[in-house]
Parts: sequence; C-alpha cells; structure tokens
Amino acid sequence: MDFKDIKILLCDDSMFARKKLGMFLSSLGIVNISEAADGEEAVSKYKEVSPDLVFMDIVMPKLTGIDALKAIKEFDKNAKVVMASSVGTQSHLKQAIVLGAYDFVQKPIDDAQVEKIIRNVMK
Amino acid sequence: MFAQFFGAFLLNNKLVSPETLAQAIDDKKNTRMRLGVLAINAGLMTADQVEHVNVAQQSVDKRFGDLCVDLGYLTPADVDRLLSEQPTDYLLLGQTLVNNGSLSNADFEAAISAYKSHYQLSDDDISNNQNDKLSAIVKDFFHFNTAENARIYTEYVTLLFKNIIRFIGDDFTPLESSVVNTAEAEYIVCQTIHGKYNAEICVACPKAEYIAFAERFAKETFTDVDEYVNEVVGEFLNVNNGLFVVNESNELGIELSLDPQQYIHNGTVKYDGQAFCIPVAFAFGEVEFIISIS
Repeated sequence: MDFKDIKILLCDDSMFARKKLGMFLSSLGIVNISEAADGEEAVSKYKEVSPDLVFMDIVMPKLTGIDALKAIKEFDKNAKVVMASSVGTQSHLKQAIVLGAYDFVQKPIDDAQVEKIIRNVMK
Repeated sequence: MFAQFFGAFLLNNKLVSPETLAQAIDDKKNTRMRLGVLAINAGLMTADQVEHVNVAQQSVDKRFGDLCVDLGYLTPADVDRLLSEQPTDYLLLGQTLVNNGSLSNADFEAAISAYKSHYQLSDDDISNNQNDKLSAIVKDFFHFNTAENARIYTEYVTLLFKNIIRFIGDDFTPLESSVVNTAEAEYIVCQTIHGKYNAEICVACPKAEYIAFAERFAKETFTDVDEYVNEVVGEFLNVNNGLFVVNESNELGIELSLDPQQYIHNGTVKYDGQAFCIPVAFAFGEVEFIISIS
C-alpha cells in the first residue's frame, strides 16, 4: 500500500483539529481522507468508507470517541483506530487498549508519530 | 517564564510603564547582552562599578571587559565565563530597558536583586527553568495561598503559562489577578474538567484580541470570528486542559475528564464559588483566563 492508496478517517469535533491533521496527511501525499465531527458520524462514516485507519478524538458530542471505538470494533474487529486526544490519562489508555485501539497519540499531535503509525499500517 | 514575571515585577513596582514594558518585550529579540548587565546580574560588579568603567571607556580605547580586568573588578576568567553564558530571557529584557534609558544600571541592579530576593531565586534556578520555583512565583504572584485549592490553582496556572509560551508566544506580561463571581466578555470559550474535583476554565476577551489569539495558535490569518476561529481558541483550551489532566493522572493518580467546550458571544458566565481572573497583556492586547476550582 502507498500513501496515495490508503484511506483515512479523521474523527474530531474540532474543525481546526481535523484541518490541521488533514493538512499534514495531504502533505504526505494522502488523498483519501474522510471526516466526522462526532462519535455517531464516525461510526456511520466508518461503515460507509471502510477506511484503513481512523484517528479518533475522545471528547466529542453525541457519542464519545471511546464509545465510537467500541461500536466500530463490534462492526469490524480488524478496524485500526488510533485514539488522538488531549486526554491521554492512564484510564483512557487502559480503556482504549481493552477495546482494541491500534495506538494512542496525545494532542498536540506530533506529526512524526502520525507518519510512523501510517507507515506501519501500510506495511 | 521568569522573564514574564520579571516584567510583571517591574510593572507592579512602577519601575516601568505598561507601554515601555510592551515596547521592550517587542525590542528584546534584537538586543545583544552587554558585559556590565551580565556582571551586575552575577553579583560580580555593582552598578557604580559598571558606570565607572563606562566613564573610563570614554577616554581609553579598550574593550569593556579588558577595562574591568585592569580596574580589578573582574578576572579574565570572569569575563570569559560571563560572555560564554547563554543570556536568559529576563536578562535580555533588563538589557533592553537599560539600552533604551528606561532603567539605569543602578535601577536594574536594585530591581534584579529585589526580584531574586522576593522569590528566593538563584541564577541556576532561572537557567534551569526550575519548575518548583516557577510554581512558587505563580502561587505568590496570584495569591493562590488564599484559595481553598491552592495546589490545583498553582499547578494549573503554571502549566497554562508554559503552554501560552509554547503555543501563543512569550511576548506577554501576567497582570494582577482578582477574585470574581462572573466572567463577562465579547467572546468567551469555556471548558469544564470534572472528576475528584471540578474546574471551570474560560478564555475571555474582546473581538480583536480573540482573533489575534486564534491567529497565533493556528498560525493562520483571520478577518472575523466564525465557527472555525471559535474552535481554534477552543482547541488551545482543550490541549492545555488535556495536558493538565494527564499530569494529574500520571503524577497523582487523579483521574479527571473533560467536557466539550462551550462558546459564548456577548454573554456572562456565573460561578457558584470563587473564581480567579488572570489578565494577561499580550503585544496584541489583553486576554483574561478565569479559573474556578471546587
């Protein structure tokens, strides 16, 4: 898989956070980028576009990122969901690991860490 | 952060005006340190001795350091050491104020001595950005010792200032805090932290400052406030609060959660208990951070 082939879903209620991460993904040459602004939309977008990788915020309206992760994993146990949140506490990390999160990135997001995760997924 | 609180110290002691300080903060990036100020700061020379060398230099074609050695004020090793040290930000601010005539060498000597003595600071504390000393300054400056949750206020505000420097810029001066029951401004962004304790934090300011603050964080240009600009300011608050929550979890095992941010235009936020209003004067204007912990 190449950057131009990979499909990524960005889930964050902040338009600014989506734009910032989206711009970095575009700079890598990634073109298949979808967005969701809350947990519910994240789940429905996942079902619609079947992304290779999801970046999921935790604090979101309607459905939290943790609940959305749970719903996505129930739909597709092989889903790769990276929790991308400002709240990387021990309990959130534990919850995310138990629910099968692929990785965890703390905001402010480190671009190098994101690139490394994407390269791992593409292998 | 020591530089910002040194600026506040000068302001509170009426040694400089807000306008002079703002100009010096802007000018200090172009300032080169001089040996005299470095020697005064290190306690190796008095302001009188520096003035003496300045006067002597007018009639002798010698460098300042060489004259200090000739006059017995410094050793060659002192000169080498002072010149090799990386100047700290608060010294650059002091040098800028000396250069533009706002402070004499004697004023600077008295101010720096009083600042260090008031906060029990050593040069090593400042060079190493000692966290416990930063927290002690924050606690004293904002009178958090009068608050019920002094530790939490202190930790939160210390982190807030670090993140302001990291994400917005270091060209600001913290101003005196006040205890309030309401927050009122043209634009307010609030976020609540809840768990073992609850904290409500607001960023409040007029439109122009709101836009400028967002521009600094997003590194973009905005002409008006829209949903996107709101979310930029909201994201600053979210990132800062998230880092605070992680620190509390990692260091003290306190698990806290964040609520989504709320955006208020031309409104008021009322607090049930005590809230600290912390105004911060940036180059672009004043922004208030209102924090209530219960």
